[in-house]
Amino acid sequence: MEKYFDLSYIWSALPALLPYLWITIYIAVLSVICGSIMGFGLAAAKLSRNKWLRVLAEGYTTIMRCTPSIVLLFLVYYGVPAFAENLFGVDLQNVSTGVFVVITFSLQFAAMMSEVIRSAYLAIDRGQFEAAVSVGLTPFQAYRRIIFPQAFVIALPNFGNGFISVLQEGALAYTIGFIDIVGKANLIIANNYGTHTLEIFIALAVIYWLLAIIIEKIFALLEKIFQKGKQPIRAT
Amino acid sequence: MGFIDWKFLIDTFFVALSGVPVALLVTVISLLIAVPFGFFLALSRIYEIPVLNSFAKLYISFVRGTPIIIQIFVLYATIPLLLNGLFEKYEIDYPIYEINPLWYAFIIFSFNTTAVLIEVFRSALQTVSKGQIEAAHSVGLTTWQAYRRIIIPQALVAAMPNLCTATINLIKATSLGYAISLQEITLKAKVEANFGYNYLEAYLDIFIVYLLICIAVEYLFKWYEKRLSRYQLRLV
Repeated sequence: MEKYFDLSYIWSALPALLPYLWITIYIAVLSVICGSIMGFGLAAAKLSRNKWLRVLAEGYTTIMRCTPSIVLLFLVYYGVPAFAENLFGVDLQNVSTGVFVVITFSLQFAAMMSEVIRSAYLAIDRGQFEAAVSVGLTPFQAYRRIIFPQAFVIALPNFGNGFISVLQEGALAYTIGFIDIVGKANLIIANNYGTHTLEIFIALAVIYWLLAIIIEKIFALLEKIFQKGKQPIRAT
Repeated sequence: MGFIDWKFLIDTFFVALSGVPVALLVTVISLLIAVPFGFFLALSRIYEIPVLNSFAKLYISFVRGTPIIIQIFVLYATIPLLLNGLFEKYEIDYPIYEINPLWYAFIIFSFNTTAVLIEVFRSALQTVSKGQIEAAHSVGLTTWQAYRRIIIPQALVAAMPNLCTATINLIKATSLGYAISLQEITLKAKVEANFGYNYLEAYLDIFIVYLLICIAVEYLFKWYEKRLSRYQLRLV
């Protein structure tokens, strides 16, 4: 078996892979930013009094939950240029594949975030808003200073999970020819004529695993920091 | 919408549908394998059984920390190597590279789902209060009877929504079966599209098929949850 599997190859593969980790993280961060903005809109639609807005937002979330990432990725990759060209006459042939990756995962993250934001918002007692308004804050100030900071802490763990899941789904970006860390790994394997496949994949798994653990730790720390202002009611 | 080949769209829809049995078979078998393992590892986490508990923690951390596609790559490369070693040792003459990808799919997806189910069952079992098992003991039930008749029926109701999510994620994950050339929905439709580059239509079909399956599965789970919880007392 020594012939097929060489443990030291894992170490030598890491320097070739790690520079591409930044591309993976960069794509995930961009998707999280765009997705969060869209998620706010969706959450607002879900909480609005307009029935059609609510139905639309709920339907969007259901569809996103039911679509495998790889299918969504290819739908965006083939669909967006086709629609842009045939309906608006815009040529998107030269757009970088990274753009499609970001669009896909933003769409997906937005659906996830809308649920997280909605549940965090609903977890805040209505009395908080009323109390804020009654001491003379405008509704906007009440949201910014009272509701948002509290909802933010509640949403933080789920936000962290969402971030990790975008990072992992992002591993599929190689299927449309995007060269992130997985794409680079496949290039290395192709250059080796298919040898040392397992070592490269183990290196990838280790990188992703460590990254997920680090992100989890960061979010746990953030939660601790932001929870400082919260004072539970004491029995005494 | 002249750029969509409607005839191809309708024809390929049935090709995609013909992959549904394989996708569902993989889902059901993986769940059947994962449920007992997940349940016993969940129990070993709750009772903090020394070795099993730390093993379960590590296992969950790995599965949650790495993308499914990487898990597929790693396992798909590891299993033949292990089998090769075993077969050589015991001098079994069996063509390893002709094993049906279905077997790999069962192993890979049950490996993934078990980790998810450990956490699902653990949180569900923890919703049942300790008093329930004490009460069961005090009326003369053995621990096994108490679990079977008192604890599990209650925990199952709490586990239902998460089980539904896990099942849907599993169905979505089978779309990655292309990596092990599993003849399921995505691969079948994609192969059909290879002749005329009708990828957009093919992915639209795949998208619709997954949407239909997921809505059906969600509906089934909701119905079963209602049935399970009919004995639950409700506050009026």
